[in-house]
Amino acid sequence: MIEDDIYRASSQYRLWSYTESSLQSLRATTNAVASERVRAALRRSRETHQSTASSAGTPQSETSAENKIKDANDIECLTPEEELVLVRYYCEKTLELGETYKPPMPTMVRATAIQYLRRFYLTNSPMTYHPKSIMACALFVATKTDNYYMSLRQFAEGIPGETTAEDVIAPEFLLMQGLRFTFDVRHPFRGLEGGVMELQAIAEGQGQPAPHLPHETAEDLQQGLLSIAPPPVPSSSMADRIARAHTKTRELLKSAAQMTDAYFLYTPSQIWLSAFLLADRPLAEFLLDVKLGGPVTATIPPPEIDDNGLVNPLYEIRSKLHRVLSECSALLQSYTPLSSDPVQMKNLKRIAKKLYHCQNPEKVNISAARKRESARPSPAIQSDAGPVTSESESERLAKKRKLEQEEAARQSDDVFGGELVTQRTKH
Amino acid sequence: MALSPFGSRSPSMTVHSPNTAIRLRATAAQNSVAGSTAAVAKPMPDGDRELTEQLNIEVRERYVKDKKVGEGTYAVVYVGHLQDDPSSRVAIKKIKVNAEYKDGLAMDAVREVKYLQELKHPNVITLHDVFSSKDQNLSLVLEFLPGGDLEMLIKDSDIHYGVADIKAWMGMLARGVWWCHENFVLHRDIKPNNLLIASDGEVKLADFGLARSFADPLFNMTHQVITRWYRPPELLYGARQYSGAVDVWSMGMVFAELLLRVPFVAGSTDLDQITKICEAFGTPTEDNWPGVSKLPYYIPTDKAQVVPLQGRDFFLRQFPTAGPVGADLLMSMCALDPRKRSTAVQCLRHNWWTMDPRPTQNQDLPRKSGGTQKMGDDLTRRGGELDEGMFKNAARQLDFGMK
Repeated sequence: MIEDDIYRASSQYRLWSYTESSLQSLRATTNAVASERVRAALRRSRETHQSTASSAGTPQSETSAENKIKDANDIECLTPEEELVLVRYYCEKTLELGETYKPPMPTMVRATAIQYLRRFYLTNSPMTYHPKSIMACALFVATKTDNYYMSLRQFAEGIPGETTAEDVIAPEFLLMQGLRFTFDVRHPFRGLEGGVMELQAIAEGQGQPAPHLPHETAEDLQQGLLSIAPPPVPSSSMADRIARAHTKTRELLKSAAQMTDAYFLYTPSQIWLSAFLLADRPLAEFLLDVKLGGPVTATIPPPEIDDNGLVNPLYEIRSKLHRVLSECSALLQSYTPLSSDPVQMKNLKRIAKKLYHCQNPEKVNISAARKRESARPSPAIQSDAGPVTSESESERLAKKRKLEQEEAARQSDDVFGGELVTQRTKH
Repeated sequence: MALSPFGSRSPSMTVHSPNTAIRLRATAAQNSVAGSTAAVAKPMPDGDRELTEQLNIEVRERYVKDKKVGEGTYAVVYVGHLQDDPSSRVAIKKIKVNAEYKDGLAMDAVREVKYLQELKHPNVITLHDVFSSKDQNLSLVLEFLPGGDLEMLIKDSDIHYGVADIKAWMGMLARGVWWCHENFVLHRDIKPNNLLIASDGEVKLADFGLARSFADPLFNMTHQVITRWYRPPELLYGARQYSGAVDVWSMGMVFAELLLRVPFVAGSTDLDQITKICEAFGTPTEDNWPGVSKLPYYIPTDKAQVVPLQGRDFFLRQFPTAGPVGADLLMSMCALDPRKRSTAVQCLRHNWWTMDPRPTQNQDLPRKSGGTQKMGDDLTRRGGELDEGMFKNAARQLDFGMK
């Protein structure tokens, strides 16, 4: 039994690991289903409005977005790529929200919340459930699952703006269902701590050789470490160098690893090693050498062949690992925070504006939907009793949504991205 | 070698959890077709439900509840079966919504679901599925364990068992605990009535309501865990950073109880518990446990009162049935200093397992009827409670290591 087998037993591997193409097709499916639903819902909403208007005999106010739509099929829905940008933005906001608490929430709790959001939006669309209404719940659930207990009241009070405890908790079941009741997230942080401790021990002359390289002594390891290529940024000592690499890697794990698809595509150890390579390549390569022997570079192609003509299995593992780590490093490196990039921010604002027109009106109020759902008859005995949303409720929801949007626009410094909405109202 | 965590899969596992990952993808693909036609054909069909809601309903409809077998303040337990296999048996644990608890799903349920989803092992109770009902109650579909629990066997004077049986039970317990620790999970409530027995005699670690992950350096944890009689000295002294050694101590206490057929160290209060531990095993001092005096609730003992650390002869005298090698294993589980205590894997590597008498085969282990009812009681109980009710809720005042 090796660590890989244990990882393969985890829900993260069983349910939440993908190839790039399977991830893409799942998102495309989710988007297609949600788009159909949005169009159908908006069509119903429009019909309701028309019938209300004709029966009342008075012209309807032209302010409601639904009313402007002549044909629901014309509604431009978000693309899977646009949904992903939006989710990423709210993941960045989750990190910030965790920071506003005193003391700030542990990185682990925030990272778990971000992964919950990312997992939830694999099978749910932001057009159905706005990330703004899910993110606080994701963070609250993460405090429960990651042993950072605080009461709901205390949690809600810590959120800037008008978010109530009910707003936070309303989507809890929805979220947990979307997570398929798997709450464990395997993070790369613990592995990083272990790797750093090991390097520190080697630097102090207390290193342990890998089991298959028993000829190496603590002195060999220490000498090896001291003779590696210089760091990207000069450091005063080896301890200092390790500490810097540690900090920089943590930063990458806290940001790039959270905001990209890294968790869906790679294992925790692949992620931290990739980040470590970006932070201090010679140091990371040294650690891999210690573990697996022999560096892999283009200039040293001949693999060791033993007397039986077999390729050293460690060499193969190392080559394979090298390839995977390079891919993962590239993914991590591709990340730039949305908020620091004007081009991306402009795109985001366009998407937010677009979402305003293609938000599923029947799912806006999660709290009301939750009550509706529990009052709903079981599917077995449910007849085709017509729309669940009544005319008056549909009206009410449209009004409530408008009020909420306006309220959000007023709170432009809100961590929930009020500024996006402000921008929208200018158009 | 004794270390074989994946012995044979238990034949009692009549229900096979489907590969949910594949199912999720497959259903997603189907749904895109069904969803789009449904939306066009019918304005408001059941297609209104989101993908995950549909999956939840599918899971829910896969099971049928037959009979209530237990009800507590926290949960109701039913025996049920698979819709399409009337001969199958499952336990369905429905978590009650606590009206006073406004913070969503209760922590016990969160922990239990979180860890059981990760721990698939023959000696850990299997979580087949989780679903929510319309009223947003959570139901856990668990492995059906009709053999009762170890407490029931220990207490029944009509049941006779010997050291070979104890070796079999302890081996299964140790493998289950090893698997938890290997996955960085502390159980934190190991005791005889959390060790349930399958129809084939396999022992299963149950009740993960107090479990948590560990090995994140510098994170504090609460010391208010583990039912008192099975709680190790470091927790009684208020340690906030600890390891798998806490579960190993509990294992040692279960081992001792199996040998003696009464709880070995049964304190009536936390203070009494530590006093009794000192009397039994020796007084913790800076000499035998460096750093112990710095623990928050450490009480220095008057020099004249110090009981010297007990040696091998003490364990042999107290537990003659274990034999010298068995006593040695027990002693290694009961080291006061958690750093000197055996880890789960060290326990499994002990040579007691491989020497005579060999552990009894599962089918030959003593058993007792009425186990289904006992399972119902065990699964409805909240973690950390002593059945006697005397010290109820003592371990429930969790403060979650915030400071």
